[in-house]
Amino acid sequence: MAGEDRSVGAVMVVGGGIGGIQAALDLAESGYKIYLVEKSPAIGGVMAQLDKTFPTCDCSICILSPKLVECGRHPNIELLSYSELLGVEGKPGDFKATILKRARSVNESLCTGCGICQEKCPWSTNSEFDQGVGKRKAIYVPYAQAIPNIPVIDRELCTYFLKGTCRACEKFCPTGAIDFNQVDQKIEVSVGAVILSPGFDEFDPTPCFNYGYKKYPNVVTSIEFERMLSASGPYQGELLRPSDKKPPRRIAWIQCIGSRDSDHPYCSSVCCTYAIKEAIVAKEHVPSDLEETIFFMDMRTQGKDFDKFYQRAKREGIDFVRTKVYEVQEVDGTGNLLMKYLGEDDKPSTCEFDLVVLSVGLQPSPESVALAKKLGVQLDPYGFCYTQTFSPVETSRPGIFVCGAFQGPKDIPETVTQASGAAGSASALLAPARNTLTTKKEYPPEKDVTEEEPRVGVFICNCGINIGGVINVPEVAEYVKTLPNVAYAENNLYTCSQDTQERIKAIIQEHNLNRVVVAACSPRTHEPLFQKTIREAG
Amino acid sequence: MAIVLNELDTKFKYDVAAEPGGENIKLCFACGLCTASCPVSDIDPEYNPRRIIRMVLLGMRKEVLSSNLPWLCSQCYTCQAHCPQNVNFADVMKALRSMAVREGYVHPSFIEMIKEIDAFSQELRNRMVRAIVDKRSEEAKVDAARLAEEALKKEKAKV
Repeated sequence: MAGEDRSVGAVMVVGGGIGGIQAALDLAESGYKIYLVEKSPAIGGVMAQLDKTFPTCDCSICILSPKLVECGRHPNIELLSYSELLGVEGKPGDFKATILKRARSVNESLCTGCGICQEKCPWSTNSEFDQGVGKRKAIYVPYAQAIPNIPVIDRELCTYFLKGTCRACEKFCPTGAIDFNQVDQKIEVSVGAVILSPGFDEFDPTPCFNYGYKKYPNVVTSIEFERMLSASGPYQGELLRPSDKKPPRRIAWIQCIGSRDSDHPYCSSVCCTYAIKEAIVAKEHVPSDLEETIFFMDMRTQGKDFDKFYQRAKREGIDFVRTKVYEVQEVDGTGNLLMKYLGEDDKPSTCEFDLVVLSVGLQPSPESVALAKKLGVQLDPYGFCYTQTFSPVETSRPGIFVCGAFQGPKDIPETVTQASGAAGSASALLAPARNTLTTKKEYPPEKDVTEEEPRVGVFICNCGINIGGVINVPEVAEYVKTLPNVAYAENNLYTCSQDTQERIKAIIQEHNLNRVVVAACSPRTHEPLFQKTIREAG
Repeated sequence: MAIVLNELDTKFKYDVAAEPGGENIKLCFACGLCTASCPVSDIDPEYNPRRIIRMVLLGMRKEVLSSNLPWLCSQCYTCQAHCPQNVNFADVMKALRSMAVREGYVHPSFIEMIKEIDAFSQELRNRMVRAIVDKRSEEAKVDAARLAEEALKKEKAKV
């Protein structure tokens, strides 16, 4: 084994989506030092953009956020966001990786993530995170729960970089963290293995002119629709259509846009189930008389409990029509859309809708294809990473592993499974070097709270329709304050974000709390996070 | 239409696939885009490309080749441009027409008529092109016929 003589007990994970995060956490917990390289300003990937996950319709960011926080504060994970992997040299067990750390224009050690700079910045553009449906500033953090919570300046938009004036962010920054003079840095790190998890691109349906994407405002892609549904999205979770900001009454999904055609002769594997999910979730937003139709070729709901999900959708009155829609045309002056297709009765039919969602497929991003070529990693005919049936996490280059949608289109559960698999393979390769580069987390001494009068702190989460839509959270917080022994109560928009963890710690100290109650979405996913937070408070 | 299993000709689809233009017939996954996009189906819903492909794949040789279906296609190629499986349906129709003629499903008078229409349209095209070329050569003061003859000679010499 190559790893036996001089292995490095560190692994580089390329891509900070759910796959990269899972692999990083598994390896960091197993005794390896991790460099998590992410090309955008924050980790989270596509999962952070999704409103809900299938087949349980759990809030996506709520499941992801504890993992983001975990990654952000893990002593053995070094986050290299806004960075790119340039190349890898060496042999399995002992690689030298070169990384380009792009200039953030913000000093990471001074920034507190207060957000004033974003508020004051006068320049805005379409937000990549909101798929262009919403806006962001020239200095920005991509989304509310982003890790690291440190903004970057978009130098192609910032007037200071374009014309030499403005500097509003610098003027208002309370810690003097803005640094216009930062330059891109090349850094080199030693790692024993590399895991590629760069994810995928959504297919851009603009060239499919017969569906009118970009021509008619009410034709949107499925990922845009996710942002339109999301509580943190551009419409704050109210389901509105783009043209007139009115709630749609009839929504259609067209499946296999950029999948199973002559350019993409593969199934993207997630679109059937995500369309069902979007239809079910949209019904929760507009409960009364929403008519929904999914136009599909074959219903491929493969995955645990996914078919049950399909049956549920049919029971809830969602229409499924087996056909490929030929054309979408706007009905003059209404913004409504007329679909032309061959009906299940074998007769040409038309049907009018208020909003049309194109279920776009998954394809490899040009950047990951270029990276694979640079690394000498073989690709399959479609540009996904080539792997063999019985070694689905090994690339063609020994010591470099792969997981997630870059290996082939896949959903979140499969990505997480594969990420843990890749972590396991990397861990086996580097077994002799385990625990050589890691540090142990130091906790403050535990406080003795026996026989103290209980001083309870209550933190109630007010995020999304699954909590805020059902309960008037501020009122609950006010009521809780009247209960015996409650020393402190408040409501937070995102209790699971890293900011709030810091806030909880500060409040525990300030109010000398000895009991903490967090009322949030799910103890199953979040309990360990909050327990760790209070442990850090002593 | 009743489909009688033991009257089906299971060889039919292979014969169509062996005919120039019919190669991709077996790729069809019946999405219906061809019919939805077809201007002929718009006028006459009895003309249904997806159904014709199914009939071929099932082996309904007699029903397809003796019907007027292969002759209704306007060869606009819209279906072919949109087909996700590259079935090339407009070319399949040409293959079916050749087979229908060759296998004697078409009345000789019909073939005569087609030949006449074909010759007439060739003649029409010829005259149109010549009218344009003559007018242009007059304007440009060149002898197009002589130039064409010379070019032809050159090409022949090369061969």
